[in-house]
Amino acid sequence: MNWFDSAMHRALLEAALVGAMGGVVGVFVVARRLSFFTMALTHATFPGIVIAALLGINLLLGGGVFGLLIVAGVVMLGRGRGQDFTAATGVALAGGFALGVVLISAQSGFTKDLTAYTVGDILTVDTFDLATTAAVTCVVLLTLAMLGKELLLRAFDPDGAAAAGLPVVLLDLALLALVEMAVVATVPALGAILTLALLVGPAATARLLSDRLALLFPLAAAIGVACGLAGIWISMVADVAAGASIALLVGAVFAVALLLRRGVRRPRRSTALSGAD
Amino acid sequence: MADTAPPASPPDGVPPDAPPEAVPPDAAGPQAATSETVGPEDGAPRERDVTLRMEHASIAYGDVPVLEKIHGIVHPGEAVALIGPNGAGKSTLIKAILGLVPVVRGRIEVLGRTPALARRDVAYVPQADTLDPDFPVSVEQVVMMGRYRKIGWLRRPGRADRTAAAEALEQVGLTQRARHRFGTLSGGQRQRVLLARAIAAQPRLLLLDEPFNGVDAVSQHALLEAISVLKGRGASVVISTHDLAIAHLACEEVCLLNRYQFGFGPAEEVLTPECLRATYGGHALELRGDRVIVAQS
Repeated sequence: MNWFDSAMHRALLEAALVGAMGGVVGVFVVARRLSFFTMALTHATFPGIVIAALLGINLLLGGGVFGLLIVAGVVMLGRGRGQDFTAATGVALAGGFALGVVLISAQSGFTKDLTAYTVGDILTVDTFDLATTAAVTCVVLLTLAMLGKELLLRAFDPDGAAAAGLPVVLLDLALLALVEMAVVATVPALGAILTLALLVGPAATARLLSDRLALLFPLAAAIGVACGLAGIWISMVADVAAGASIALLVGAVFAVALLLRRGVRRPRRSTALSGAD
Repeated sequence: MADTAPPASPPDGVPPDAPPEAVPPDAAGPQAATSETVGPEDGAPRERDVTLRMEHASIAYGDVPVLEKIHGIVHPGEAVALIGPNGAGKSTLIKAILGLVPVVRGRIEVLGRTPALARRDVAYVPQADTLDPDFPVSVEQVVMMGRYRKIGWLRRPGRADRTAAAEALEQVGLTQRARHRFGTLSGGQRQRVLLARAIAAQPRLLLLDEPFNGVDAVSQHALLEAISVLKGRGASVVISTHDLAIAHLACEEVCLLNRYQFGFGPAEEVLTPECLRATYGGHALELRGDRVIVAQS
């Protein structure tokens, strides 16, 4: 029997892939404070996937195209002066999700139910989904490795990057497109709502544990993979939803890291305070 | 030396007390003495190279003019201080020299090229407090950013880049902080790190935006030292600042700005009570004839 014939094996591999990719991409999402934008992206991808399902075309393609439209829109809005970037992102978030729900509810006798899109169903990923995720993971990680130092400069010092002659709009577009690809590849496993957990949680956790950029990428990837694998295992043992288990674990690990960091900091802070007193 | 042409008589709207001729007229000088188009790379010796040439340049964001008729020249090894009240357009002029803001009339030339084409030889030092102190980046990584354009796309820093970055950090006296996170340093130290980043790029024109704001005396001294080393190597420097004393100390030339240019020339000739009062529109107080206090509104 082929190793890939087991739904459990496929789910584990998928979880490891999206965990690693989400962790690495997440480092940039957190550093550039794109968490809210990423959330809007996950929700805006949703109607694209629904439309693709209705038309019978590839779901990832549908979600991807819709998401790219959002990326282009946000980059344009971000360039305009006096635009409230956050407000526009919020409108896109709610509007995209609502559009998806309307489309699904208008379709009677629609086979896949709403929850599969909103919270995902990692145990049903097939070999094609896996191959797609693997390919997207490779492309995303390679591109990040190639553009890493330019993206770093752009993230740290936007004006400095422009002053150095870097094509900042193209760089922004590239980063948002990479985030978008990671989102689209993760949505079948974790759904439109829970995908955010893997794209922000592991990186935010890694950031709590280390100040060193070079460590953040492997650390975030490891946390993502570990949460993914452990989440699948918990869902098997306890017979609960896999995507939600993964997201819950990510949240729990983040909380523990937060407490650890507080614990490490408190003694120092208290001595400083007593010294000041 | 006053290698500058005075601004043309100001257009309507200039405050009535604006001095039309703040600088001794020397209009025949620069254009005649230097070649307009030849880049310095060809190595041909000429009387005097020009790093930065501004010719009646007007700069606007969209339809809103921010600066009009800026005119002056900066030679290699010289520093010019941009002085004027908040909102006078100092940062805008720096952005225009970087080619990030369009020149709508007249022109700005850097090393004989348009600003956008000269960026490789220009380094920009932003105000340290505009950068995110929580960003997970070390001091040495920040300095290495100055090498990115020389390293090029898809490549990693090599030995020469590491050497240049280490030397630049040493020049600002922060070698022992190389591995610290950027945000853990004091404001003055962060400003020095950003200057080291610019030094690592080995620029021929260095642009500093308010580098002395909120900087302690030690860091101020280190910044001034490093700037003078750069000048000694033939780089030109443009510094926007509120601090007249530092302008006197670090710069040969001063450019007084408040939407229009109220003077461009040697510090001792331009930093006069009359010019300062005109630039600051009444917010300058004169003390005993030769000393001026500028009150920021």
